[in-house]
Amino acid sequence: MQGKVFTMNISNTIKLVLPILFPSWRFFSGIGVSPRFDVAFVAAVGDEPSAWIPFRPLPEALTFWQHFKRFVHNPQWNEHLFLNSCAERLFDGGGDFYQQEIATHLLNAIHAGEVSAAAAGRFMCFRIRAIYSEDAPANCMGRVRDDVVFQSGCYALSMQGSVK
Amino acid sequence: MTFELALRLTEILLGLALFQQSLEFLRASGVEQKLALLRAPLSVLLMLGVFPLVVCGLLVVTSFLLIKRFQGPYNGGSDTMSVLVLLGVWLSYLAPSRMWQEIALGYVVLQLVLSYFQAGLVKLVNPEWRSGKALYEVFALTAYPVSESIRALAKKRQLLLCACWCVIIPELVFPLAFFTQTTLIIALVCAGFFHVANAVLFGLNRFVLAWVSAYPLALWFQQRLIELL
Repeated sequence: MQGKVFTMNISNTIKLVLPILFPSWRFFSGIGVSPRFDVAFVAAVGDEPSAWIPFRPLPEALTFWQHFKRFVHNPQWNEHLFLNSCAERLFDGGGDFYQQEIATHLLNAIHAGEVSAAAAGRFMCFRIRAIYSEDAPANCMGRVRDDVVFQSGCYALSMQGSVK
Repeated sequence: MTFELALRLTEILLGLALFQQSLEFLRASGVEQKLALLRAPLSVLLMLGVFPLVVCGLLVVTSFLLIKRFQGPYNGGSDTMSVLVLLGVWLSYLAPSRMWQEIALGYVVLQLVLSYFQAGLVKLVNPEWRSGKALYEVFALTAYPVSESIRALAKKRQLLLCACWCVIIPELVFPLAFFTQTTLIIALVCAGFFHVANAVLFGLNRFVLAWVSAYPLALWFQQRLIELL
C-alpha cells in the first residue's frame, strides 16, 4: 500500500515537473474566457446572497510611483493572477483543489480587511463570472458575454479556508 | 562574454528574481511562507556566489516543493523560466566536464530562444493576432490590464493592430539575432523593454528578471556558436 502511494506521488510530481523542463511557450495563442470573482456574505448556510461584491476591482488609474512600486513588489496582483489560473482550471473541469485555493485566498483577503463583511454575515460564498466574446470573424468583435459559471458553497468567516 | 562571467551574471540576476518572488510569498500563509523564509536568504547567497552547488540544489528542491504545493507553477511562465535557469545553473556545477556544463546552459538558451520564437509563431498563425483583435480582447476583456485607464487602450484599434505586429515580428525573428553580437544586444534590449511594458500594462513584474537572468547566457552562447562555426 505504502509503495503504491509512493509511486503515485512520484508519478504526480513527474507530471507537474515535465511541463516545466520541456515547456510550451504559447503565450496568448488565443484569448480565452476571462474570470472575475465576486464575494457575498450570508448569515446562515443555505441563505441566498442578497448582494455580490466584486473582488479587487481595478483602480481608475495608477500614478508613476504606484507603477514603480508594483514593478518591484506586487504580491496581491500575482496572487490574483494565480486565482485566475485556478478559475481557468475550474472551467476546464479541474478538481476541488482549485476551488479550495480560491476560497482560502478570498477568506484571507477578507480577514485582512480588503473586503468588509456585512454585519450579519457569518459565512462567505463566491461566484466566478466568465467574460468572453462570442465567436465572430477575425476582424470583428463578437457580442461580449458575462455569465456566472460557478457559485461556491458557504465558508465560515471564522475558519479561514474551511469548507462548511 | 566568457562562460564564467555569463554564469556569474546569471546567478546575480536569478538571485534577484528569486528574492523578489520570495518577498512576495512572505505575506502569504502556510507552506509557501515557510519556503519563502528559506528561499530569501538562499537567493542572497546565490547573488553573492557562496556555495553555489549547495545553494542552487536547495533552491531547486524548494522550487519543486512550491510546484507541488500549487499543483503547477504559481506564476505561469515566469516560474517556469526561473526554474529552467536555476536547473541549468545547478547542472553546470554538477557537470563532470566543460562540455556538459555548456550543454546544461545551452539548453537554457535554447528555451529562451523558443520562448520568443514559439510565442511569435502561434500568434502569426492566429488571424485574430494578425487583425489586431487579439490585443483588443486582451485589453477589453481579460483580467490583465492593471487599471481602467489602461483597459481604455482597447479603444485605440489602429494602435493595437500596430502593436500586434510589433510583438509578432520581433518574436519570430529573435533567433536571427544570434548572427552577430551587436544584433543580439539590440534584440535583448528590445526584449527587455517588452517585458518591462508587460509589467507596467499587465502587472507581469516577475517575468522581467526571470527572462533577463538568461540574457548573459545568450551572449556567451552566441560567441560560442560563432567559434564553433
